[in-house]
Amino acid sequence: MAETVSQMEKVRNMMQRFIAVAALIALFVVFSLVTDRFFTIQNILTIALQTSTLAFMGIGVTYVIITGGIDLSIGSVVALSGVVAGLAVRAGMPVLIGFLLALLAGIACGAANGLMVTKLNLPPFIATLGMMQIARGIALYVTGARAVAGLPEEFGILGNGALFRTTTTLPNGRVVTKFPGIPYPVIIMVIVAIIFDFVLKHTRLGRFTYAVGSNQEAARLSGLNVNKTKIIAYIISGGLAGLTGIVTMSRIVTAQPNAGVAYELDAIATAVIGGTSLMGGAGTISGTMIGAFIIGILRNGLNMQGVSYFIQQVIIGLVIIAAVAVDQLRKREG
Amino acid sequence: MSKEILRVENITKKFPGVVALDRVSFDLRRGEVHALVGENGAGKSTLMKILSGVYQPDEGTIYLNGQPVVFRDPVEAQRAGISIIYQELNLMPHLTVAQNIFIGREPLKRGGFIDDKKMSEDAATILSQLRVDIDPDIPVHMLPLSKRQMVEIAKALSHQAEVFIMDEPTSALTESEIEELFKVIRRLRDRGVGIIYISHRLEELKHVADRVTVLRDGRYVSTDEYQSVTTDQIVRKMVGRSLQEKFPPRTSVPTDKKILEVRNISRAGVLHDISFDLYQGEILGIAGLVGAGRTELARAIFGADPKDEGEIFLFGEKINISSPADAIRAGIGYLPEDRKLAGLALEMLLTENITLANTEEISNSLGIISNKKEKQVAEHYVNELDIRTPSVFQVVKNLSGGNQQKTVLAKWLFRKAKVLIFDEPTRGIDVGAKYAIHKLIDSLAKNGVGIIMISSELPEILGMTDRILVLHEGRLVGTLQTRETNQEEILNYAAGLASNTSDKTEITL
Repeated sequence: MAETVSQMEKVRNMMQRFIAVAALIALFVVFSLVTDRFFTIQNILTIALQTSTLAFMGIGVTYVIITGGIDLSIGSVVALSGVVAGLAVRAGMPVLIGFLLALLAGIACGAANGLMVTKLNLPPFIATLGMMQIARGIALYVTGARAVAGLPEEFGILGNGALFRTTTTLPNGRVVTKFPGIPYPVIIMVIVAIIFDFVLKHTRLGRFTYAVGSNQEAARLSGLNVNKTKIIAYIISGGLAGLTGIVTMSRIVTAQPNAGVAYELDAIATAVIGGTSLMGGAGTISGTMIGAFIIGILRNGLNMQGVSYFIQQVIIGLVIIAAVAVDQLRKREG
Repeated sequence: MSKEILRVENITKKFPGVVALDRVSFDLRRGEVHALVGENGAGKSTLMKILSGVYQPDEGTIYLNGQPVVFRDPVEAQRAGISIIYQELNLMPHLTVAQNIFIGREPLKRGGFIDDKKMSEDAATILSQLRVDIDPDIPVHMLPLSKRQMVEIAKALSHQAEVFIMDEPTSALTESEIEELFKVIRRLRDRGVGIIYISHRLEELKHVADRVTVLRDGRYVSTDEYQSVTTDQIVRKMVGRSLQEKFPPRTSVPTDKKILEVRNISRAGVLHDISFDLYQGEILGIAGLVGAGRTELARAIFGADPKDEGEIFLFGEKINISSPADAIRAGIGYLPEDRKLAGLALEMLLTENITLANTEEISNSLGIISNKKEKQVAEHYVNELDIRTPSVFQVVKNLSGGNQQKTVLAKWLFRKAKVLIFDEPTRGIDVGAKYAIHKLIDSLAKNGVGIIMISSELPEILGMTDRILVLHEGRLVGTLQTRETNQEEILNYAAGLASNTSDKTEITL
């Protein structure tokens, strides 16, 4: 009997993943059929580019949610780290150093979140709600609430450059793009996804992350360092929010202290659509990537269809609800 | 003979792949306590869920006061007069006692406002009928567990319940609270209420049971007047075989080699200056009433709770323990009394649970876990401990209690623990699986692992240990040689009526 139970569970888990992938493919096919310019290399790369920042944040928050926490500070950390990069570069530092400082700012915010959750024993919702206000406040204060513009061209390379871009010059002197190239953020997204997927699946840190979220007391009584595991999860989330800040500001070659408002909600939605449980203990990076692409394709396709941004919001809201409802129904059957 | 109030006839309930109840019949009379016993999986809870409307039977009929009835949901069962007092209590902690008793049926004043005064008075009336001293106006979370149970009973009584179902009502109570509960049960019985009493603790039935029905593997086995059967006979009916060898023969022999020395452990208000030694080959029992500090002592040694004072020596070497990680590094393992809350990550796999405390062993210097090694480790322990599972990649939640306990044990064996502290090792485990666990504990002791065993079941303590520490209100009041003592003596010490804290009663071989 135990055998049939585990078999059924396996089938059900596969079903859920299958539903998510099927939804992704269905969206892709439908938009390809109804929109002319949807299924082109150019547009697919655009979708990937638009999805990259969502994926960074989603991957980070997936770690936090698996430990049983939540990170509401992501959007504000995106703004703060972007602003740190912008101000550093405008002050004359090399772009690379500016970006590194931005990443460090994100990591510092994440570490602060982790320390508040573990050492001060604050509920994650409260700790990161506080950080959301603090990071946003600092970003606005240091910039006087104005965009940091006038940045050098190199500031925009990361966000706007691409690998393998090939162009030819026609006899009349016009430059034509033969292949638009793979945008750098997309390459980073692939690398980040592979690394964090591997860490979660195959390393002790990943194992501890699941164990802490699955049963914190059992993890502690098995000798795991619960606090360290949680702090690392928040650092990952903060660091990837920092990366998102860098990419976002690089794309517009401006550091915007108002950027990233409510991004944390997109990130959480991404994780949840991908099957991450807000109760902790369950979730995968591949699921989160699927979630990110579902949102990315929906936005892109609906945009091309000329659907109002407000209606897009409604649709994405419905998708979040449907994804979790399917998950709940699946559990109830079990 | 008193009049029949409830009868079920030939109830069958099937779940995918299993027949939970197979043509079971059962009846309950007015003014009787009818004990329902059986191993885990015997069908007790399924039958209770059918009686209380949670499940519907596939076949068979329920008669209430002679009339056939169908309960489509728990509300219908409750309206018909069947109330169930769950193991996990169903009260709203921040509401008052009166508000809980009358939830959803609050007496109203004119204008639709709740009549708090009347509600409070009515609650007081019901509580006084049970002769329990509870203020109806204080929030439930301020009451100890035993009083909350009384509130549940009062609530059921206010529903005019004629049938009470009590599922393991004493599992979390102290001796004196159990006494109190039994008094209330007798009072309910005298009022003509019928009570179905489910319990693992066969010993306590003698205080309340009028009749006892045994279920086994979803089938009805027997119903007897309690006076006419012995506990041994009941156990035999439960397991379907004679339990001559209730405990395995001990093969390990205590030596005079000290493994663990615990010195002067104290924790304000909980533990007072406790010292003892553990010898190689020995199984050391810790007995005491609920609240005596047994689990607290184990957790203090293991570093799970802070201690104010005290030293611990392992093989003569002093070890500093301020967290479970420290204790585990030194070689101490703890199997907590509540496996599901503290011992296992239930949603994770068998493999992952076995290796959880020792992932270094299966990973490389970068912290990358080898799936192959992990699988081998899990397979090794599944064979060695005879963990019944379809696959090593099974989710632990789906294993039976006995196999879950073996999984926790495997975790510590893989960590090469030199001292294991078992806290209620066989609580909630089938009689058959208990035997297997006991056998494992003995063979561990034989292989040189130091074993401390905490148990509330005195037969288990007497059947398995070499020496017994008895705690009373956080103090070590007695060290007894198992072969020279008996239940009565242990209870005398546990109740604080005797003491021999001349801790020099070291082992005399």
